[in-house]
Amino acid sequence: MSAALYVDALDLGAGAVLVCAVTTLWRRDLRANVSLLATQGVALGAVAGVQAARTGDAGLAVVAVLVLAAKGIAIPKLLSAVVRRDPRSRETAPLVNVPASLVAAGMLVVVAFLASSRLTALLPGSTARLAPLGLATVLVGFLVLVIRRKAVSQIIGLLLVDNGIALVAFVLTAGVPLVVELGASLDVLLVVVVLRLLAARMHTRFGPVDPDQLRELHD
Amino acid sequence: MVLFLAGLGLGLAGGVAGAVLPRSARLPAAALGGATASVVAFIAAARVLVSGHVATAASGSVLPFSGVRLTLDPLGALFVATTAAVGLAASCFSVGYEAHGPKSRVTTATLPLFLTSLLLVPVAASVTTFMVAWELMALTSLVLLLTDHRRRAEARAAAQWYAAMTHLGAAAILLGLVLLAAHAGGQSFAVIAAHARAMPAAVRSVAFVLVLVGFASKAGAVPLHVWLPRAHSEAPSPASALMSGAMVNLGIYGIVRVGGVLLGGTVLWWWLVVAAIGVLSALFGAVHAAASSDLKRLLAYSTIDNMGLVLVGVGAAGALVATGHRTLADLAMVAALFHLVNHAVFKGCLFLGAGAIQHATGTRDLDRLGGLVHRVPVTAGLVGVGALSIIGLPPFNGFASEWLLLQGFLRGFGDPSAATMTVSLVGVATLALTGGLTAAAFVKALGIGLLGQPRSDGAARAREVAPSMLAGMAVLAAGCVAVGVVPGAVVPALRRAAQLGLGLTAGSPSPIRSGMSLDLAGLRGAIEPALLLGALLVGMAVVWGGARLVAQRSPYRSARRAEAWGCGRELQTARMEYTATSFAEPLQRVFADVLRPDHDVEVTHAVESRFFPQAVRYHRRVDDAIERSAYRPVIRLVSAWGALARRVPNGSTNRYLAYGFVALVVVLVVLA
Repeated sequence: MSAALYVDALDLGAGAVLVCAVTTLWRRDLRANVSLLATQGVALGAVAGVQAARTGDAGLAVVAVLVLAAKGIAIPKLLSAVVRRDPRSRETAPLVNVPASLVAAGMLVVVAFLASSRLTALLPGSTARLAPLGLATVLVGFLVLVIRRKAVSQIIGLLLVDNGIALVAFVLTAGVPLVVELGASLDVLLVVVVLRLLAARMHTRFGPVDPDQLRELHD
Repeated sequence: MVLFLAGLGLGLAGGVAGAVLPRSARLPAAALGGATASVVAFIAAARVLVSGHVATAASGSVLPFSGVRLTLDPLGALFVATTAAVGLAASCFSVGYEAHGPKSRVTTATLPLFLTSLLLVPVAASVTTFMVAWELMALTSLVLLLTDHRRRAEARAAAQWYAAMTHLGAAAILLGLVLLAAHAGGQSFAVIAAHARAMPAAVRSVAFVLVLVGFASKAGAVPLHVWLPRAHSEAPSPASALMSGAMVNLGIYGIVRVGGVLLGGTVLWWWLVVAAIGVLSALFGAVHAAASSDLKRLLAYSTIDNMGLVLVGVGAAGALVATGHRTLADLAMVAALFHLVNHAVFKGCLFLGAGAIQHATGTRDLDRLGGLVHRVPVTAGLVGVGALSIIGLPPFNGFASEWLLLQGFLRGFGDPSAATMTVSLVGVATLALTGGLTAAAFVKALGIGLLGQPRSDGAARAREVAPSMLAGMAVLAAGCVAVGVVPGAVVPALRRAAQLGLGLTAGSPSPIRSGMSLDLAGLRGAIEPALLLGALLVGMAVVWGGARLVAQRSPYRSARRAEAWGCGRELQTARMEYTATSFAEPLQRVFADVLRPDHDVEVTHAVESRFFPQAVRYHRRVDDAIERSAYRPVIRLVSAWGALARRVPNGSTNRYLAYGFVALVVVLVVLA
């Protein structure tokens, strides 16, 4: 493949990651959110794969496969199991409505580009110019965490943040060491498993889970 | 020094014994540890005071700021000896007191530890050692103060006040000492003293003001006194005696040690400030003591009063040194330290006595006491000795030191410097006014509390307290009489401490010729308390004998005695007696502007007619005016701020996440 094609493929993958994140804000249906997360995982895996093919790094190729398996398949599966339990699987009352949150997301993307301008200036002409997309994904994921009330939505927000960090890692450095990626992926998987169990337990005990109701535990 | 360290070890052993031994052995073992520690430390301190030798000990320091450095010099030894005397009495007293009071392992174990930390503070010779000892003292006394926290809400409130004030004070002291250590390039007191003269004047003054705030608060000086009446009246009596007889002294010690010894205190305005604080404290304490009808509260306010007098003396001495009048300064300092020692002895005795009275009657409200002199004569007699001492009557020790203070102030008039003359003038006036008010307060305590008819069932059923408690009080009462009759015996020791405190050379001639008498060399003034005592005894014998003689020769000696018409006394009940409140009423009226008492008269009328009152209830409360006007607004502000801050965490996960998110975005924008 030519160098230009690599660059186009990376652009496409990184762009897809951010688009998936922003779309998560738009859609309030949790099933759709989970499939968006799966798409984002696949895109992230593709970015890693393209980087691996470009540098010819075998370790990175293994990482790409792992990312694809964990973030593209395993985690979305676990989440969709939770979502399927809940018949009304919609984020009914986010703290900020959809148009406002989309505007906020646009502003966050601008902030991300501003904030990482020095980062991209370090390595002009390399894949580092895609780092703002990763940072923007992190910020949008954080926004999801802040404005959504359902437990599953918050798990998704956390995963968006994680995916954003992974994207920054892939485009900024030419690949993450296998051990590091393995550790990070396992951590995230563990978090999801724990949260899933917790959410399931809370669901059986209290009905549909809304962490906002935890406020009653205060004082 | 080995002897002194052994004393500290005994105190610690007493604390450990109080914590781990079985129930029956706990109390005697802890008290024994405290008492032996006191005796051993007293001997070690007395040797230093008599010989003037300085003993030191230092541990090797592995890490910076970790070594312990102790120095027992005459100034420290004076405070060690005073603490030890009160400690011995309090330890004896605690055996009987705690055996019948609320049984608490924590209290039993903490009392010897508190005593040990009190002994440690005056010998600490580096900033870290001093601060550790100081905080140990604060912590152990706080624990003791909380003894009664389950039953009394007042004890909890007192502990809060005390904890806040002592921590603020310790922070100020730490800042001041650290400032000095940083400029001296070393944290041992010797290094600081050696470099102090070369420090910029501003640094020295800032450091002095900082430590003055901390130490004055510990000494209960107005306006930092608010914790004292609460803490001293709510702590168990042995702890009250130690707090009032030993802990407040260490505030004075700190001012003399840092201002006089470390900084070489030759700045006039420092000492004028000290004297001004002293005057305020003395008057404020005396007025409140006169108006108070709670026995322990009265004693606590009287502590503020006496510490104020000591501060005036110390301030006058410092001012006299700064203006170059060394002999007079020597006299004033000796007088101040003498009064401090005497106050420790008689106030210790009185607090133990208050504990004994509370123990015997179940109350310490003077309005509910009375008639104790017939029911608990020994306790009443010992309390009487303490009260006569504090009023300043010969032949007790309060007389000797107040006389010396008065002489010091009076001689200050001869000085042409306006500042010292003003201090002396104000000092004389303060001493006179507080003397009168103290007399009123303790006439009230003795007359209402001990004489007359019992005003409550508890007072009527009072029984003499345990021998160990009486022994504790007797130790201090004997001290009152001994020092009062032969004041010359302690003056040389006081002079050693005073000269060190003022930074004077040891060889200068003494202003006081002391033997059996106190004779102010070249100043024309002398007292001979032993002669006074003799005259007093002879006079009493003559009056008594004369009265007997007259009675025997009287033609009516065989007449039958009976109440003629009774004059209304036939049916006299306790309700016809003067109470403490009514006794204090005229004084309270005179000082209404300072005391701002709250009165409340509640009249219940008969249902049939409003012309016939059924019951009249009179209620009076004297709040601390300084607390109300200066502290309450600050507390309200802090509480409001706290309530506002509690809205920040409202329990919503989303809000907590939002805080993090906003912080992240702000950081990114700032960095971009």
